[in-house]
Amino acid sequence: MTGRLLPVLLATLAATACQSVAPWERGELARAEMQWVVDAPGQRLRAQVYDSKEASSGGVGAAGGGCGCN
Amino acid sequence: MARVGDARSGLAVITSSALMIPALQDARADAPPTFTQLGLRYGQYREDDNAGSNTFGGRQERMEVDSLHFSLVAPVAADWALFMDIDREEISGASPWFVGQTAEGASKVFMSGPSIRDTRTAVSVTTRYYLPRGNAGLNYSHSEEDDYQSDAVALDGAVNSADGLTTYSAAVSYADDRIEPTQGATPTDVKREEKQISSLWGGVSQIISAHAVVRFGLSFSYRDGYLTDPYKARDSRPDSRREWALSAGYRHALPRHRAAVHVDYRLFDDDWGVQSHTLDLAWHQRLAARWQLAPYGRYYSQRQADFFSNGANEGGRYFADDHRLSSFGAISLGLRVSYDLGDWTISLDGERYRSNGSWGIYGGEESPALVDAWRMALGLDLLLD
Repeated sequence: MTGRLLPVLLATLAATACQSVAPWERGELARAEMQWVVDAPGQRLRAQVYDSKEASSGGVGAAGGGCGCN
Repeated sequence: MARVGDARSGLAVITSSALMIPALQDARADAPPTFTQLGLRYGQYREDDNAGSNTFGGRQERMEVDSLHFSLVAPVAADWALFMDIDREEISGASPWFVGQTAEGASKVFMSGPSIRDTRTAVSVTTRYYLPRGNAGLNYSHSEEDDYQSDAVALDGAVNSADGLTTYSAAVSYADDRIEPTQGATPTDVKREEKQISSLWGGVSQIISAHAVVRFGLSFSYRDGYLTDPYKARDSRPDSRREWALSAGYRHALPRHRAAVHVDYRLFDDDWGVQSHTLDLAWHQRLAARWQLAPYGRYYSQRQADFFSNGANEGGRYFADDHRLSSFGAISLGLRVSYDLGDWTISLDGERYRSNGSWGIYGGEESPALVDAWRMALGLDLLLD
């Protein structure tokens, strides 16, 4: 399944990588609301709820240890 | 935490992001933090009572969690920094014990009774070294409950391309977990068990325009050991689990609206038969007078594990009636509001989570034990010179 999707994603990435953006044009990208995680501590709390109530976890970054969450 | 329009705010944001995700889109991401940040979060998690129509013995209370989270980001030297998180949680309430059938053939859940009371303390420390075009981090974390202990180490790194448009990231981690179930009125079959979790992750982020950035990631985790829930009456799971997760993210700035759109997607698949789709959407709006508003929504749908069934078939090698392994869909809606007071930032985040067997895109049995819950977090962040 992932083997079928990965080439599609890589092709999409290659297609989107064509536009050059100079360093002085990246001001909007550096704004607080443009970061991958805007509120890291809050995101930890959110992810903990999902991970303990659903059968899926991970996807971004290394996995951590588990918990005995009920 | 993040303050727009302040020379330090960009750096503060970048360092907070670096704590979670090494794939950053700006060359300044490789600069260590030059200011110390302190963060405090008080969180509440409240599950709705189990409906009387789904429960033997009528309507019953479920889990409650009160949590306190402390975070620290501190520069140590010119090219390295320290990140620390401390969590303390008070957990109480009841959780599903098993699912049985009524004389009419309907599935109902039998709850454990309001007997669960636990405390969790977790500490996570990361030291990160910054290079001219990248960074590398080493993390150790420890989590302890009355009946559960976990130790984990992780190593991650990120490298920017020469033009700064692309960031390549990778991480590897290993966790060693031990469980010693609390023996209540109904003793468990297990006295002490353990499991190990190994994971690999790789990702790439790419600036695609002056207003947009995209990223992709792929992770693999291998769980080995005791993966059964000892507190369930009918639960026997394989002693290994292989998990894949493919993720994609997109950020788009809308300067005219002083806003940004966030889109994140994850495809999860494992060798237990579970597969899931997760879509996260958020709108981050800057308002006048230092206010920020961020409404967000999440849709989740999972396919049940091969060995899940209501009233688990104990004749098979593996069986479970845990609602977390059933087919269902979940929708959550939330709102985060923050206010900048100079060096201080106050934030309030509230979220409603609801799940239902018919909301998912996969077929399967609907568990009578699915969860609806409220979550709230009050935050206070301080930036020190």
